[in-house]
Amino acid sequence: MAVTEALPSKPSISGRQKSRWRKQLPNYLFILPHLVLFVVFLAYPIFRGLQISLYDWKIMLSLNQQKWLGLGNFQALFKDPLFTKVLVNTVKFTLMTMVLNTAFPLSVSVALKQSFKGRDLFRTLFFATSLLSVSAMAIITARIWDAQRGILNYFLVDILNLPRIQWLGSATTVLPTLSLTTVWWTFGFPMLAFLTALQNIPEQLYEAAKIDGAGPLGTFWHITLPLITPTTLFVVSTQFIAQMQMFGQAYILTGGGPGYESRTVMIQLYETAWKFFRIGYASTMAVIMAILMIVGTRVWFALFRGRLEY
Amino acid sequence: MSTESVTTSVSHPRRPFPMKTFLLWVGMLPVVFVLIMPVWYMVSKAFTPELNQIKWPIYWLPDPFTLENFNHIIQDKTLPVMRWLFNSFLVTGVGTAAVLFLSALSAYGFARLEFPGRDTIFFILLISLMVPSVATLIPTFLLLRDLKLLDNYMALWLPAGASVGAIFFMRQQFYAVPHELEDAAVVDGASTFRVFWQICLPLVRSALVAQGILTGLAFWNDLYWPLIVLNTRDLLTMPVGLLVIQQGSYVQRGLAFAGAFLGTTPPLILYAIFQRQIIQGMATAGLAGR
Repeated sequence: MAVTEALPSKPSISGRQKSRWRKQLPNYLFILPHLVLFVVFLAYPIFRGLQISLYDWKIMLSLNQQKWLGLGNFQALFKDPLFTKVLVNTVKFTLMTMVLNTAFPLSVSVALKQSFKGRDLFRTLFFATSLLSVSAMAIITARIWDAQRGILNYFLVDILNLPRIQWLGSATTVLPTLSLTTVWWTFGFPMLAFLTALQNIPEQLYEAAKIDGAGPLGTFWHITLPLITPTTLFVVSTQFIAQMQMFGQAYILTGGGPGYESRTVMIQLYETAWKFFRIGYASTMAVIMAILMIVGTRVWFALFRGRLEY
Repeated sequence: MSTESVTTSVSHPRRPFPMKTFLLWVGMLPVVFVLIMPVWYMVSKAFTPELNQIKWPIYWLPDPFTLENFNHIIQDKTLPVMRWLFNSFLVTGVGTAAVLFLSALSAYGFARLEFPGRDTIFFILLISLMVPSVATLIPTFLLLRDLKLLDNYMALWLPAGASVGAIFFMRQQFYAVPHELEDAAVVDGASTFRVFWQICLPLVRSALVAQGILTGLAFWNDLYWPLIVLNTRDLLTMPVGLLVIQQGSYVQRGLAFAGAFLGTTPPLILYAIFQRQIIQGMATAGLAGR
């Protein structure tokens, strides 16, 4: 930790203090450029967003011309069946993707932790899809999932004679399909995080466990998992934040369809604010999302705290 | 690292069959297949004429090989793909450099320098880390509109420069730099900025690379924010441009694949060249979560 400097307790302006002040003044220049941007483009918008959510905000008017609604937007939003629908979609997608995008990268990283020929090649390949932009990724994966002329149904229907699945076209499969797409696209980063954590576990622990007669599963459960808990928490919470704000995958691949089945909060917010210009209402969505995400993150930390003490 | 010897001399009497390597390969190859096959499909279709795009059954090679999609894309003034590619490089390059410089500067201030209110200010920055970006989208958009900065790359760079994550990460790195090095420089009469720039910054280079990759990827791949703040077709970045290709009257599959190919190749080439540093960097960034 840094040596915390004792702040001047009394406002007495002694000569020594004054000269120290003068000496430390240039140090502010280091934080100033960022701090100006921070205040203007982060701190101010946070409070402004809260304020806007309390108005029936019209995009071209100034503050004193806006109509005050108080909590009216919030009440309307809670009664809005479409918002409930997109929120449920988002949460379902988030939970599904969080589980998949933690379990799958973890198992791959356990395999890649072994030393074997070609390991580095696999590691390099597995991270490659993370470099695609969501638009390029969607152009590609659209061809996988396409029900009539898609690659996957080509294998399933034309080669294996299985029934045709409307991957992105039916209410039951669309969210899981988008979730798999997301894992395909982004599992590289959690994989590398787990791999680094696994490589930091001292080898002696495994040797000791072997001597004690622990099998591979027991070792994984009692030694590996507890020791990588900080990384698991990191992956789970970053996944949570990323997936709650899912936009591109659904917006490009399904347009939120069929019906409203894969419409997420971010799509709803985008259209409310930038297609229909209901700025106040959209701000309210943003505020509720922010609260849900802050609370959710707290929950993950609380759930993992018990296990962090190993 | 694998320590197996490279020599394949025949005199070596029967080396045991590498069962573990074999099993791991059997396990890994399906994953590789699932990852590579769709990307390969994109490449082959980018070089396939529009007429044969949905030929059935699926054909995995260009059929026949053609550059017609790329010709179309480069000549079509309404689809300035090369311009979008250039824009993406510009936005990513300038944005990443600016974010790294501002964050490192500020992180050094918080980690190494003393001034009244330092810990309070840092605490406020930390709290803001909890607030997800969704909360600031609309007010930032309105602010940029009032500042007449919409449809301008400043609308991408300025809000990114306000972010706090990089400072938090870099500050931890500066703590790890031994004080003795700085003290020696201070004795020699170096200014605070020179100590930062010439002594401390080079010592945290690998962390800087890690943060640079994260920030760079975020700029390169972002769709939501550029979609909101950019409007002029010539100013779009690649992700928004690829969205345009798929919309309206452009639903030509060959064009979309050619566009995706152009947008994907530069990062993949950079990755192939710098893969060691990038993997190392991402691992460092992953460790930051500890």
